[in-house]
Amino acid sequence: MLLEASHLNIAYGDAPAVWDVSLDVDEGEIVSVIGPNGAGKTTLINALAGLLRPRGGALGIAGTDLMSVASHDFCRHGIALVPESRRLFAAMSVEENLDIGGYRSAARRHRNESLEQVYALFPALRERRRQIAGLLSGGQQQMVAIGRALMARPRLLLLDEPSLGLAPAVVNDVFAAIGRIHRGGVAILLVEQNVPKALEIANRAYVLEQGRIVASGAPEPLLARAEIREAYLGFAN
Amino acid sequence: MAKYMIRPSRRAVLSSLAAASLVSAGRRVYAAPAPIRVGCTLALTGPLAQTALVHKLAAEIFVADINKHGGLLGRSVEYVLYDDQSRADQTRSLYEKLITVDNVDLIMAPYATAATLAAISVAQRYGKIIIYSSMAQVYLATYDRAFPASHGGPHPEISNPKVILDAWASTPHPPQSIAIAASKFPSALFEAKGVRDLAQKRGIKVAFYLEYDFPSRDMNPIAARFKDANADLVWLGCLGVEANQLIEAMTKIDYKPPRSFYLFPASGPLASAPGGEGATAFSNYEEHPPMDKFKGADVLIPAFHERAKAAGMPYTRVDFQAATEFAAWQMLAAAAQATSSLDDAKMADWLKHHQVETVVGKLRFNEEFNCGDDLSKVKQVQKGKWQVVWPVAFRQPGTTFIAP
Amino acid sequence: MPSVTLLGQAVIAGVLIGGLYGLLAAGLSLSWGLLKYINVSYFALAFLSAYLTYQFGTFNGIAPWWSAVILVPAFFLLGVLQHWTFMRLRVTELTSLVVTFGLAVLIESLIQWIWTADFRKYESGFSGLTSKIGPFFVPTLDFLALVSATILAIATWSWLRWTYVGKALRAAAMDPEMASAFGIDHRRLSFLLSGICSAYAAVAGIFIALIATLAPSEIGTWIGVAFAVVIIGGVGNPLGALLAGILIGFAESVTMAVTQPAWAPLVSFTILIVLLLWKPRWT
Ligand SMILES: Nc1ncnc2c1ncn2[C@@H]1O[C@H](COP(=O)(O)OP(=O)(O)OP(=O)(O)O)[C@@H](O)[C@H]1O
Ligand SMILES: [Mg+2]
Repeated sequence: MLLEASHLNIAYGDAPAVWDVSLDVDEGEIVSVIGPNGAGKTTLINALAGLLRPRGGALGIAGTDLMSVASHDFCRHGIALVPESRRLFAAMSVEENLDIGGYRSAARRHRNESLEQVYALFPALRERRRQIAGLLSGGQQQMVAIGRALMARPRLLLLDEPSLGLAPAVVNDVFAAIGRIHRGGVAILLVEQNVPKALEIANRAYVLEQGRIVASGAPEPLLARAEIREAYLGFAN
Repeated sequence: MAKYMIRPSRRAVLSSLAAASLVSAGRRVYAAPAPIRVGCTLALTGPLAQTALVHKLAAEIFVADINKHGGLLGRSVEYVLYDDQSRADQTRSLYEKLITVDNVDLIMAPYATAATLAAISVAQRYGKIIIYSSMAQVYLATYDRAFPASHGGPHPEISNPKVILDAWASTPHPPQSIAIAASKFPSALFEAKGVRDLAQKRGIKVAFYLEYDFPSRDMNPIAARFKDANADLVWLGCLGVEANQLIEAMTKIDYKPPRSFYLFPASGPLASAPGGEGATAFSNYEEHPPMDKFKGADVLIPAFHERAKAAGMPYTRVDFQAATEFAAWQMLAAAAQATSSLDDAKMADWLKHHQVETVVGKLRFNEEFNCGDDLSKVKQVQKGKWQVVWPVAFRQPGTTFIAP
Repeated sequence: MPSVTLLGQAVIAGVLIGGLYGLLAAGLSLSWGLLKYINVSYFALAFLSAYLTYQFGTFNGIAPWWSAVILVPAFFLLGVLQHWTFMRLRVTELTSLVVTFGLAVLIESLIQWIWTADFRKYESGFSGLTSKIGPFFVPTLDFLALVSATILAIATWSWLRWTYVGKALRAAAMDPEMASAFGIDHRRLSFLLSGICSAYAAVAGIFIALIATLAPSEIGTWIGVAFAVVIIGGVGNPLGALLAGILIGFAESVTMAVTQPAWAPLVSFTILIVLLLWKPRWT
């Protein structure tokens, strides 16, 4: 297994948000996490990225225990995050944002190579490399957020609702890009509210409700379950 | 601290620790009979601190001396001093506190005009006699029991400019033109306007009359203007370090005015400034003959040298500020002794009808605003030392007024 | 109408003092923009450096450039120590103004305790140096201050703009959490920056000692103008601070030369207000 999380408990102050969640992602996999608003998806993915520290449970990547690793060292272990609502460094240029993504020393050595890969994936960014990131369109900003994470040369890419607020055509582009990244050998954990898309692309999926995993498995058997179809696709049959 | 906006209480406690060694505030020494407590604030911190320190030393010297000689009315004198941080609003509340909380017997005025006015307004409310040593605009002190120790007469805006222009008029080549710049500090503006009006009346050309912000950061442009005007007499209505700043700025552009006058300079630094030679200023006291024989000079001069040196002050000679503060205490003690009381009304009444022999000369208080004569003199930097050069009667034998 | 000589001399004086404004404002600008601390203790630190330069020069015979060799690294360490303390005390952007103000008062008291409230003038022997260009005089020390300010501002600006550490600092100021997700150890970098801010104060202080007459109370006279310079130049922008310093120095000096000098502060705050309303890109 690449990423292994077991029995994670995550809380904000005294308010617990995620209970006893176990989840894993293997090399070469795309794993989706779906669930309603407020289920704890962002909480979970941020904990996997090191931004939030779990109260209990175990977290490891490729055999390394992450529980005692400093937040700013998570990326050294091959984890990169495309956060919810992008969180670009808005006043900095596109290329500066990408450089922050490639800040860790192992990534710096491959800067030019990584930049080429990102620009090949998102040609629109190459022309806009000197523009201020905060002034780009939503879709372009999402490209920068993904590109920034790729600059870290991750083994596991964490994506939190990359389709949020984007037009359907742009959503398709973003999912196409995710597919290409995956084919390039990067394992992917995807949090999505766009359930059809998330399940279409995934090898496996987890359903998170009220901070707990309520179902998991391959997409087809999950979709075969009436209560899941009703809850996430809006029809029972 | 005056220029900062916020004064957090916990930090303030920390910050005052360093100043605590300077302030003997609130420390009471109980002895029988109970001491006479004289309350006062001074600008121990903030922009006025350098001159206020001189007042503090002079006051301490007086108190130490009177206690050495049996105190006042058979009781020792205790000096209760607070730091007003060069702020008039602080001064007001601290005098309230001195009178109502500390219950001091007598009060003395603080340093500088704004603070003095604040203190006088509190004194008036409680009917306290208050003797002030550093406010030129005596007409602002309409309170019946406020007495000046600094003597510029009842109308210094008229008499002071006369003193300085008379002094220069006595030289072989009196100035034909004058350039005036004054700090926007009340007492400086008031003197500046006075000298401008008198110069015009006497047919001396006023090259310019300028006002600049206090405290100033940058005297370079003003130096450039003085150089450009090239008047016979440069008159700067400055406060403290500004005189030195102007001289440095003029030196940088290779200008030395033929005659110069500085209103309230820091005496020591100006006397020792390269380029300060020949500069003039007001004085009411310098520690050379004949004034070193005035009443109390034998106490003040040696003690001031010693304490000023101990306080690390580079210039240890007694000047205007020290002598006036000392004279103020001499007045307070004289009134208490003559009336055998600490009663504010009786002491005030006595002062109005009597003359007091002090270190700055014989003072009287029976004219408008409790004033007497204008005793202002003109001093000049000569070989790094101040010499009184005008009126001639106060000139040290063997010295002259150096003028073009 | 003022003469050409007067006007020219005023322009020179204004531009040169702008260098000092830029040096003094740099620490506040960087720490406000990148550390989120509104640190007014740098003004007091600058005066501490000035007094030390005066002390070394007057009593120990140490030339000002050797003082710089001692003071700049020493103040760098002081800045690191200060930052460590602020982190321990959990100082925030909001409380920083109050805390550093208290620190400034404390340093001012310390200065007054050691050197008294009296004026001190460092007679370095260089203060009279001046070059004559046509009818104009350019004081050497003021000119050196401007040159140093320019070199430092360009160096700092380039460092922030082009290096990984510089970019990391800017990113961490915008979103420390995301910066850390990409391996940026904001704590370590912030020590470095805090040291640099404090070292700037040391440099400013050395020139203040050489150019000005020292009194503890003088600290306060520079704070207002430094805030104006920081805001006009753009918070976190060292080059902007220098340019704004020159702009304000120039505007004030020319005002003082051609009109009532008392209007000078009015002019700089008018510039500030106009720029705040107009909001050009760099602010
Ligand atoms: N910073 C926070 N402090 C306190 N509680 C929080 C915080 N962020 C989220 N929560 C709470 O934690 C729970 C899970 O929130 P989270 O953002 O993880 O949900 P989500 O599944 O990502 O929702 P959405 O689909 O709306 O993004 C919610 O009840 C939310 O109110
Ligand atoms: Mg979410």
